[in-house]
Amino acid sequence: MESEVNDDRIQAFTQEIGELKLRGGRGDRERILLVIGVIALVAGVVLAVLGGFQASGTTDLGDQVAFLATGTFIGLALVVLGTALFIRYSVARFMRFWLVRLVHEHRSETDRVVAALKEVEEKLGR
Amino acid sequence: MTEPILELRNIRAGYGAIEVLHDLSFAVGRGQVVVLLGPNGAGKSTAIKVVSGLLRPNSGQLIVAGRDVTGARPDALARAGLCTIPEGRGIFPNLTVRENLVMATFTGFKLADVEERAYSRFPRLSERRNQLAGTMSGGEQQMLSLARALATEPAILLLDELSMGLAPKIVAELYEQVASIADDGVSVLVVEQFARTVLGVADWAVVLAHGTVQAAGPASEIGEDVLAGAYLGSSPT
Repeated sequence: MESEVNDDRIQAFTQEIGELKLRGGRGDRERILLVIGVIALVAGVVLAVLGGFQASGTTDLGDQVAFLATGTFIGLALVVLGTALFIRYSVARFMRFWLVRLVHEHRSETDRVVAALKEVEEKLGR
Repeated sequence: MTEPILELRNIRAGYGAIEVLHDLSFAVGRGQVVVLLGPNGAGKSTAIKVVSGLLRPNSGQLIVAGRDVTGARPDALARAGLCTIPEGRGIFPNLTVRENLVMATFTGFKLADVEERAYSRFPRLSERRNQLAGTMSGGEQQMLSLARALATEPAILLLDELSMGLAPKIVAELYEQVASIADDGVSVLVVEQFARTVLGVADWAVVLAHGTVQAAGPASEIGEDVLAGAYLGSSPT
């Protein structure tokens, strides 16, 4: 009976391992989106500045509107998108790190409390 | 050896530019207890990190249940049934025993089943179910981490330095439990610095030194000379 149960467990395990998705995990996707965010942010600023310079370099109103539309406005849109992606994915990493740190601090705090309690017990015992 | 459920093939792994494991290969058969022995810095814990998916090897293959899972996410491996009890304490000290067991329900098991399984194997935990885990003795804390791991019905159990900071008598008790877990068909990979107790319950031993296999064979045949060679730096005769 015991061995049948374990055979089932091993079979289920083998099946789950067989269905595991390899590579391209969530961590990779987060890193890629973070990099895309930074690239969009930098490209947006460059486009906006270029658009501004080009618009100011001509007196033709039609050209100015075209430079602003293709340069500055698209640039600003990229800055907004890039900033949003950067904040979203860098904060997610930071929050995870913060959680681990919190758990770690709780552990050392508990250790200190337990050590203090032991000392008190010893002193009371004597 | 029985058909391997876990196999490392020519694994090279490390941290940044520092390579810790050089061409490491060994296998764990179904229902076997395999022990990785070696002195501090031999690469034992790094090997456990590679097996659990926490550390991606630079080269080589990690084969689990016949499939190459090199680079798989640690949470995916854990969910499938590859359970790790890390070095030190694998528990939440500021939660009660019962709350720690609640943490094991993430794989979808009911709390009642998890508790039943834990308390039947370790009755002492039942008496302490409402006690803060951090205030229990070191042995009881390791019992809890074992109980929590077993509650998820693992197929492979990875134990990193179970004996750390514990009295020899407690260590022997814990390893008796490990042997009984293996009898139930769970494959166990144990990492230990202190060889004597664990060799009594292990089927196979792999002695590491400087990230490579120094010696491997049935646990009963690993002699003092081999261990002395690995731990003290002289070559085995």
